[in-house]
Amino acid sequence: MPDALDAPLSLDLFFEGWELFREPALAGAIAGALLGLLGVYVVLRRVVFLSAAVSQAAGLGVALSFYAALHLGVAVSPLVGAAVLTGLAVLPFVGGGTDARRESLLGVIWLLGSAGTLAVGTRIVAEVTDIQDILFGTAVAVAPEDFARLWQVALALGLLHLWWWRGFAAASFSRDAARVQGLPVRLLDVVLFATLALAVSLTTRTLGALPAFAFSVLPAVAALAVARSVPQALVLATGLGALTGFGGYLLSFRYSLPVGPAQALLGVALVAALHGPVRAARGVRRLRARFAATT
Amino acid sequence: MASLVSTVGLRVGYAGRPLLPAIDLAIEPGQIWALIGRNGGGKSTLLRTLLGLQPRVGGRMERRAGLRVAYVPQRGDHDPAVPGRVRDVVRGGLDRGWSFLKPSALLDRGAVERALAATETTALARHPFATLSEGQKQRVLIARALAGEPHLLLLDEPTSAMDPVNEEAIFSLLHDLSHQRDLAILVASHQMSFVPRFASHVVMVDKDDGLVEIGDRVAVLSCTACRRKYGDLLPHA
Repeated sequence: MPDALDAPLSLDLFFEGWELFREPALAGAIAGALLGLLGVYVVLRRVVFLSAAVSQAAGLGVALSFYAALHLGVAVSPLVGAAVLTGLAVLPFVGGGTDARRESLLGVIWLLGSAGTLAVGTRIVAEVTDIQDILFGTAVAVAPEDFARLWQVALALGLLHLWWWRGFAAASFSRDAARVQGLPVRLLDVVLFATLALAVSLTTRTLGALPAFAFSVLPAVAALAVARSVPQALVLATGLGALTGFGGYLLSFRYSLPVGPAQALLGVALVAALHGPVRAARGVRRLRARFAATT
Repeated sequence: MASLVSTVGLRVGYAGRPLLPAIDLAIEPGQIWALIGRNGGGKSTLLRTLLGLQPRVGGRMERRAGLRVAYVPQRGDHDPAVPGRVRDVVRGGLDRGWSFLKPSALLDRGAVERALAATETTALARHPFATLSEGQKQRVLIARALAGEPHLLLLDEPTSAMDPVNEEAIFSLLHDLSHQRDLAILVASHQMSFVPRFASHVVMVDKDDGLVEIGDRVAVLSCTACRRKYGDLLPHA
């Protein structure tokens, strides 16, 4: 059998099999675009590990749903359990707070989610595989109903963010001035973090935890290297997110790589491609200024 | 005419504990108030209470109906990682209440141009905010506050980390704005040298000594307790 890395597959094959690949490839693009957009707030508010923590909290929610059904006789949909725990996980981030407080909270939520899931998992051994399936969907194949749910939610959240972006930006980047100007800062925070929790948990469910984390951080980091304003950053991060999701799927097909890591690595490559020249140009300017000062 | 903001027996502090003695003041249009005292003396607590960012511990505070207030936080509160050109930063001052739901095209863009002109920052409009000098940044943040065409402008340490030339320029700008627009201004600062030339009224606070002196500039700068506390550091009226 030839080494896959030595013999990349033709992309013609990909497009010939479009019927087969359409949903996972487009799901990557849609989730990438949505989380790319929201990622600008995630990165600038310094909560980049939020999506990782949210995934773990969702895991605990699903585990608790199974536990309730098995041992307490209470039927709770695993998705509802995940949604409730996800909502509770983002609640502490509504409002201000110092970087240290936010970082500590992220650590606590991640640990509570992961340790809690493992602990509850010992009481629901038979369902642990189901938890993995429900939580960490696979980016290789996406069920039609999951794809439909993803694009519908993405469209709704995208439109909401297009409409409310000035409010979200004011509440995120100039909180005190926004409060003095009478903006409903707390409500804006609640809506922003609720949309973020929904987008992260849905992407995690549909494509997996790694792509969800990658989409919510890397496109925004790349966009912020070159954007000159917040609207520019939002538009650019949306586009780069879509590129990361779709391009990552193409890469995974061509080089027989796992989808999630291929998407994450493409995101890292975009960050390097956009930050590299910017930093190099800055270095050259500094050198020139130093040279001019010494002559 | 009704005062823009008036307080009767206002107590400021944290967790129900007052930090300063009761405060009675009334801010009228066109007045420039200096809120002075040393660092950690209670200035920021009073400022944040007047802004409504912090609940009062006791007493009454009234605002004239329809009052538009603007706030210029300390320069360090502006995150340099947030990208924005000068015009974008100033435009951020336009939204009030739920106006962020309106399309941007319906906002009064003329107010942005007027604010840029008033602060002599029109030429900087397309520059990235992060690349400006300290003095230029402060002018832009004042323009941002002016874009909402406020009746009352409150500034927190607007000249910290500024050289004396820029400091003078900022206070001259505030003085001119107050006169041209009948704008009431309250400046919180640990520096006192600007008070004799620019302030019409003064609030001097010091929580350690339980000191609150409020009144016109001459009265406060010559008060015995203030003189005893600050000696020659306190400028003469």
